[in-house]
Amino acid sequence: MIDTVFLIRLIVGLYIAAALTALFFFRREKYANIIPNAICILASVTGITAALAFLLGHSDRLVIFKFDVPAPFVSIQMQLDSLSAIFLLTLSILVLCVSIYSIGYLTHYYQKRNVGLFNFLYSTFILSMLFVFTAGNMVFFFIVWEIMSLTSYFLVVFESDHKENQKAGTIYIVMMHVGAAVLLMAFMLLYSYTGSFDIFANHGALPGLVKNIVFVLLLIGFGTKAGIIPLHIWLPYAHPAAASNVSALMSGIMIKTAIYGLIRFVAGYLGIHSLWWGIAILVLGMVSTVLGVAYALMEHNIKRLLAYHSIENIGIILIGLGVSFIAFAQGNMVLFSLALMASLFHTFNHAVFKGGLFLGAGSIQYSTHTKNIEELGGLIKVMPYTSVFMLFFSLAICAIVPFNGFVSEWMTYQSLFMNIQPGYSGLNVVTIFSAAALAIAGALALACFVKLYGISFLGLPRSEKSKTAKEVPIVMRAGMAVLAGICLVIGLFPFLITRLLDGVSSGIGGTSIFDSLKGKLSFVYYPMKISDSSIMPVGAVILIAAAVIMILVFARFIGGKLKTRKYNTWDCGYEALNSRMQYSATGFSKPIRIVFRILYRPGRVLKVEEGASPYYPVSMKYDVSTQKVFEKYMYYPLAGFFKRFSRRLKFIIQTGSVHTYLLYIFLAILALMFYNSITK
Amino acid sequence: MSSLLYIIFQIIVFILLAPLVNGIIKKIKALTQKRKGAPLLQLYFDIFKLLKKDVVVSDTTSWIFRATPYIVLSTALAGAVLVPVIICNSHTGFVGDAILLAYLLALGRFFMTLSGLDAGSTFGGMGSSREVMISALIEPSLIITIFTAGLIAKSTSVFDMMSTAAGNGGIFSNPIYIFLFLTVFIIILAETSRIPVDDPATHLELTMVHEAMILEYSGRHLAMMELAASVKQLIYISLLVNMFLPSVDVTVGGGLLPTVAVSLLVYIAKVIGTAIIVAVAEVSTVKLKLFSVPNLAALSFILAFIGFVQYFVIGR
Repeated sequence: MIDTVFLIRLIVGLYIAAALTALFFFRREKYANIIPNAICILASVTGITAALAFLLGHSDRLVIFKFDVPAPFVSIQMQLDSLSAIFLLTLSILVLCVSIYSIGYLTHYYQKRNVGLFNFLYSTFILSMLFVFTAGNMVFFFIVWEIMSLTSYFLVVFESDHKENQKAGTIYIVMMHVGAAVLLMAFMLLYSYTGSFDIFANHGALPGLVKNIVFVLLLIGFGTKAGIIPLHIWLPYAHPAAASNVSALMSGIMIKTAIYGLIRFVAGYLGIHSLWWGIAILVLGMVSTVLGVAYALMEHNIKRLLAYHSIENIGIILIGLGVSFIAFAQGNMVLFSLALMASLFHTFNHAVFKGGLFLGAGSIQYSTHTKNIEELGGLIKVMPYTSVFMLFFSLAICAIVPFNGFVSEWMTYQSLFMNIQPGYSGLNVVTIFSAAALAIAGALALACFVKLYGISFLGLPRSEKSKTAKEVPIVMRAGMAVLAGICLVIGLFPFLITRLLDGVSSGIGGTSIFDSLKGKLSFVYYPMKISDSSIMPVGAVILIAAAVIMILVFARFIGGKLKTRKYNTWDCGYEALNSRMQYSATGFSKPIRIVFRILYRPGRVLKVEEGASPYYPVSMKYDVSTQKVFEKYMYYPLAGFFKRFSRRLKFIIQTGSVHTYLLYIFLAILALMFYNSITK
Repeated sequence: MSSLLYIIFQIIVFILLAPLVNGIIKKIKALTQKRKGAPLLQLYFDIFKLLKKDVVVSDTTSWIFRATPYIVLSTALAGAVLVPVIICNSHTGFVGDAILLAYLLALGRFFMTLSGLDAGSTFGGMGSSREVMISALIEPSLIITIFTAGLIAKSTSVFDMMSTAAGNGGIFSNPIYIFLFLTVFIIILAETSRIPVDDPATHLELTMVHEAMILEYSGRHLAMMELAASVKQLIYISLLVNMFLPSVDVTVGGGLLPTVAVSLLVYIAKVIGTAIIVAVAEVSTVKLKLFSVPNLAALSFILAFIGFVQYFVIGR
């Protein structure tokens, strides 16, 4: 029997050790890189063991440790239940791969930056996320939540000599603190009604209005972290600024802390109180899904493109979560379990493939020193391994059949399908539009990843940088290989994960649906079956493989041995085809830019310098731009309003006279004494 | 064992029938233009001949270009197995439902569009870029159609949808099916590069979508791509005819062999009928401007949505 409590304490110790050794060795870069990462690998393996041991064995909540601090309200309390354990598992798997990768990736910081400091922040960041998933007290939760935001802020601005990184960091930290402030309001409101900061204590019934207010506050607070549209603006700035291993963690698991928070506090603590909560989440998810992928299509910075895809996938997760909340409010516990499972499954899958995609983007940047896909091309020849892993991740994120993204999206589709009931027709229209949104997002994601993969890996190199690129070191490949393998294995055998997820959904909703998911075939868990529709990815793969063999045999039988001749690409007889004549990423996304012009509001500038004749220009410059609609029409006006407001306020309240300020202090004390005398 | 026989039966029917559909459409188009036209079986001859030919591959390309024909054809054939041509027992329904079918075909599309970008020519990229746009526009109506037909059948499995529809007479008994029929018809025109969306007969860069993507292919690879395109077309046509037109219900009949034969004949008749309608639609419309395709997609979306709303009015 594995002692889970001991293992979790060990993990905490290991991450602290990793952070301290990183600081200790900060003058010796090699040690500062390898030792903390090795300790993180050890800790994450322990984490995977502990999470699996807990999920397969226990079902009761474990208290890992609990210190009562002399300060009021606070107790440092760490606990583990199945919801925490599933997030711990996701975190540990991602940290394992990212830490393996980092050993190779961080070599490009040698002689340039302080690797020890980087790894100190990196380990602290992981530890803070571990605490967020296991905190048992709201004040402790809030403290580690803040540590998570701050360490990730320092990691975002780590390469602080670039001006745009500073801007990214500022946007990030402002958004995080707006969210944190709202979150704090929710916690204080809960305290004032229940008198306790304990996350698990049973508090009796809260008034309905308070529940609604707390829900809205939690949605905004966690929504900023998750990057729900329109609170998403920090994501496209922060991800390109951060180092790729940090982006992988931030996008793979940090934004999921918000999903954890929503499930923990809304479904677990508040108990879903009214139908509109679920509908609100469903609508937000739908909007985030479509707009996220639509904006991703217009990006040519590989990491910003991936950041927008995180918004899309958070949308898909929220669609599942919204359906589960609707079902909870209606008392349909089977659907609740299914939809929650779909949502958590997609959370896991997204961590795996998006983590992998960011690592792949990091590899591209490592060997070409550019994030702009317009400068890439032909990388499949110079980076054969990375290109295969990236192909796996791209297929997984597009939800294409034998990969893990498909199974969770299929479960989301099935939850939407089951959510359509006779009677609630307004809800039905929202549901069918969500399904349509999921469909168009899937097709646009395919467009986006064909663009990303086709432009950067295929064709001719578009610049010297991509011509001279080399394959990345073996440790970096190993990190990506593990994630790519997980994508395929989970896609083929989804029951490996769903059996773990069943404990979570039955823990909250009380209904286990795992047995009904199993099909009636003699294979152990196959096929996966929901309301008479079933899928069997292995079966599909066997069919495809059989078809390939059949084609090979048949073609050989008719045509004999295949003879291949190499020749130039068809160039209309021009015979001077060069890399600039290929399709560019801008050109590739142009049809979609025109079709959805209402969304992008594209602008273009054509500068022609004419030569001897207008038909032979000396030079031409063509610029395409799309507008950031949310920033332009929402955030800039808002910022402008606050600026004007505070400037005006300056002359009224902040006069600069000490006497007035003393008066303020006096009035404040009077008011507090007055308030105290009434309430006592 | 019966599953294996069923899979072989499905694949044989699809491979034998799919090129014929193209032949019929081409023949009718030729006849309306007062031409004699190519023989009905021309595509079979083409594929047979191309299979014997060498392959010319651009030296810019990678393994993706060479793997694509196999992946595209095998996903199309795997998809064909999931769409029953005669509605007997669901032998392969456990492998996947209609949603899996859609994402299985997306695997083929992913590789086909990638191969367009692989050779580094402008044509391929143009075709890929247009293809992904058209498929993105058409996808929502496909999902709504699956959901609505699925609501009537209470499952998203292709077999359940077909047997429910066949049981109650398709478009002749239930008006929802009329809207879904029209939606799927538009989807067929868009997904199989037919005239209002794409012109399969020209190689003019202003119009080409599918042809531009496969421009670099030759010999055996081209044969596979052509066969895959026609199999994919037959998948959509089979969905259309078996889901919305009345079928012979095999489960009821007497002897196995006669009923299979009769229902297969009915199926072939329905497919030929649909091919004729597609050909008539092709000759009687003009190719739309590429940026008018969204209007067509919107039309199909609206039709599908009306069908969905009607489900709650009619309630079955």
